[in-house]
Amino acid sequence: MASAATEPAEAFKPYKLKHNLSGHKRAISSVKFSDDGRLLASASADKTACTWSPSDGSLLQEYQGHDQGISDLAFSSDARYLATASDDKTVRLWDVATGSLVKTLSGHTNYVFCVNFNPQSNMLVSGSFDETVRAWDVKSGKCLKVLPAHSDPVTAVHFNRDGTLIVSSSYDGLCRIWDASTGHCMKTLIDDENPPVSFVRFSPNGKFILVGTLDNTFRLWNFSTGKYLKTYTGHVNSKYCISATFSVTNGKYIVSGSEDNSIYLWELQSRKIVQKLEGHTDTVVSVSCHPTENMIASGALGEDKTVKIWTQED
Amino acid sequence: MMNAPIIDPLQGDFPEVIEEFLEHGVMKCIAFNRRGTLLAAGCADGNCVIWDFETRGIAKELRDDDCLAAITSICWSKYGHRILASAADKSLTLWDVVKGEKIGRTTLQQTPLQARLHPGSSTPLICLVCPVSSAPMIVDLCSGSTTVLPVSLPDTGNGLAPPSRNKFSDGSAPFTPTAACFNKYGDLVYVGNSKGEILIIDHSKIQVCGVVQVPGASVIKNMVFSRSGQYLLTNSNDRTIRIYENLLPLKDGLKALDESNSGLDELDGVEKVKTIGSTCLSLFREFQDSITRVHWKAPCFSGDGEWVIGGSASKGEHKIYIWDRAGHLVKILEGPKEALMDLAWHPVHPIVVSVSLAGLVYIWAKDYTENWSAFAPDFKELEENEEYIEREDEFDLMPDTEKVKESDVNEDDEVDIMTVEKDSAFSDSDVSEEEICFLPADPTPDAPEQQDKCVGSTSKLADSAQSGSPLSDEAGQNGHAVNQSSSPLEGMDNSAAEDTGGTRLKRRRRPSDKVMELQVEKVKKSSQRMKPSVGLGTERSIFMQSRIALLAC
Repeated sequence: MASAATEPAEAFKPYKLKHNLSGHKRAISSVKFSDDGRLLASASADKTACTWSPSDGSLLQEYQGHDQGISDLAFSSDARYLATASDDKTVRLWDVATGSLVKTLSGHTNYVFCVNFNPQSNMLVSGSFDETVRAWDVKSGKCLKVLPAHSDPVTAVHFNRDGTLIVSSSYDGLCRIWDASTGHCMKTLIDDENPPVSFVRFSPNGKFILVGTLDNTFRLWNFSTGKYLKTYTGHVNSKYCISATFSVTNGKYIVSGSEDNSIYLWELQSRKIVQKLEGHTDTVVSVSCHPTENMIASGALGEDKTVKIWTQED
Repeated sequence: MMNAPIIDPLQGDFPEVIEEFLEHGVMKCIAFNRRGTLLAAGCADGNCVIWDFETRGIAKELRDDDCLAAITSICWSKYGHRILASAADKSLTLWDVVKGEKIGRTTLQQTPLQARLHPGSSTPLICLVCPVSSAPMIVDLCSGSTTVLPVSLPDTGNGLAPPSRNKFSDGSAPFTPTAACFNKYGDLVYVGNSKGEILIIDHSKIQVCGVVQVPGASVIKNMVFSRSGQYLLTNSNDRTIRIYENLLPLKDGLKALDESNSGLDELDGVEKVKTIGSTCLSLFREFQDSITRVHWKAPCFSGDGEWVIGGSASKGEHKIYIWDRAGHLVKILEGPKEALMDLAWHPVHPIVVSVSLAGLVYIWAKDYTENWSAFAPDFKELEENEEYIEREDEFDLMPDTEKVKESDVNEDDEVDIMTVEKDSAFSDSDVSEEEICFLPADPTPDAPEQQDKCVGSTSKLADSAQSGSPLSDEAGQNGHAVNQSSSPLEGMDNSAAEDTGGTRLKRRRRPSDKVMELQVEKVKKSSQRMKPSVGLGTERSIFMQSRIALLAC
């Protein structure tokens, strides 16, 4: 393998469990680090979200107010606001520091499943079981655009690094790329088989998308050419919308949860599984990587209900 | 641009229809920041407002209690840190954009019609001002001191322009304002005088380095450079817009001039500057409307310099002419019958913004037709119907020869997920300078009653139909959408939209609580007739309730 340009293949240092954060009363649906790495947020079917300190695992704040369980959350770029997407058909904006509800965004007509801020954090995008993707103005809470995105529930939405594109995925088997400023569809990614797409996100440079499908597969696609470049398998994913992410702080890896209760780490280029993190007692449905430190956070479903933090230190 | 590989290149590069309009008091003049993410507007009441151009909402208000007179011009510093506003009370105000605070204020002898910050630095110390009836001047923003620039060649007098034969179209006084602008990096000032001469001035030495005579010798009303600095546009009283090619190097133009200067010692004053002038600018094209002979207003270039726009200065009409740089008129945009006050082309997108006399800002964009092949990639869009002839065995089932999907991708090839390419549209970025591309968006807290509304289940349906509609009643906040024909999802929100459609463009103030209650009632009633795919659970229960009510009678 002529990969002279990459960093020398040093022995992979395994991750170990550092903190176990319990407190949520039902399944965890999503975990995310803030962009500055000082906070970790978790969302749960128990209708609440929490923020924790990644360094000592202490609970910092609770966010209560949704009428139904929360499926996803996102930090604004400056980590001052938290957005949550809930089965109560609303997206809510919270003041991170005080825990108070600032705004409720109504418009979706079914469960809101996924949410993300754009890098400028003046816009939010949300995907719902009502098969649409909505773009919202953070300041006024107005719905700026309703995109007729899919013909089945929308499972993930994500902005690229300069906020010009939105990618969405759905159970209808498609991933679509949208121009964020006009709301026009730019591209639809389709393969010969189209299993339900459970997850999608842009790579750090915005050139590729990582796509998870309910046939136990993750793929890295170049959306401009419409061809996939890498395939990652070995995990179990046929029922839940499990999120995955890129780990770039110490080598390049793909990290994801799995229905066999483990967290999988694949080397980005070779696609080899370098580690399986065990410890959760139910499906690991969400993972997040710290922006600067070698730290992974994970959240699992109802039998487990914990958020775990893993690090590489001894 | 990031999404360049997948944008359809067949769509035209200039706007065609009004997409939206912005409303906030009476706006008089506008300016985009370098990347077109923010739009600053000066208002008739002396305040300024910064629009987030992406959300079409207000990002910041620059409220000025000291200034009660209309803003005459507004200008950004290169990387968006500062805004300079000139007003009809003779003042110049410098604002810190991020803080939203006034840095300083200076009062001049005359009302400045135009004020431009030095374009070369992120925190400029000087600005170029064109007062209403005197020569352009450089104003020092720290001390407030002014330096008048020459408006004619040294040997013709005391620096003041002599009374001109060419009067303005409204027959106004002999002393006419001159036009002036900085070149791209601000080392030179180009002044257009009432004799139709372009003077190229070293403003640090207050010296005329070169002069170019514009054909027609008519008063020059406006001068502006293209974003790249490669072209200079003049708008003259003879109803002609002229494009000059800038022959000087874009950076260090002054240095190049000095070098030419030193090589021409044998020529005397006037000859020398004329000769140098000819090495600075060369006439490229002229535009005019020979049929209507209209005077032009607020002419400028598109962001990439490929197009030129000019507004018609005729009263009562809002017309924008678009030419390609070769001089062909490609489009005339016609807006509502209100005079055009100001015009700007977005730095990057094919979008034009115009200000009307009524104070509204119209956003013109391409008339988008949905690209259906983006939704289904194996479909190809055809211009006309094509006859398709099937093969004999087209639909035969041939199980043995079924394609085995073979991946022709070598998954061992390295993929780079980190490297970001520099945006070519902004190649003049100084990487060390931090640019203000957006202002932090703090969500405006919901009023307590709105939060309660969202808790109950029946009002949720009402909320979703009401606030979900892009044509929401809460006027004055985000832009008012005008052309909804390309929005495929209108069907869902139609019931609410139809009711308020007639009045949405006129509403200026937030409806009272009573009105909103009535609206909720209206929508609740119409929601019972909505299609079953919307709000399935609650819909069904309302239907069941009304059936039970009927049975009970």
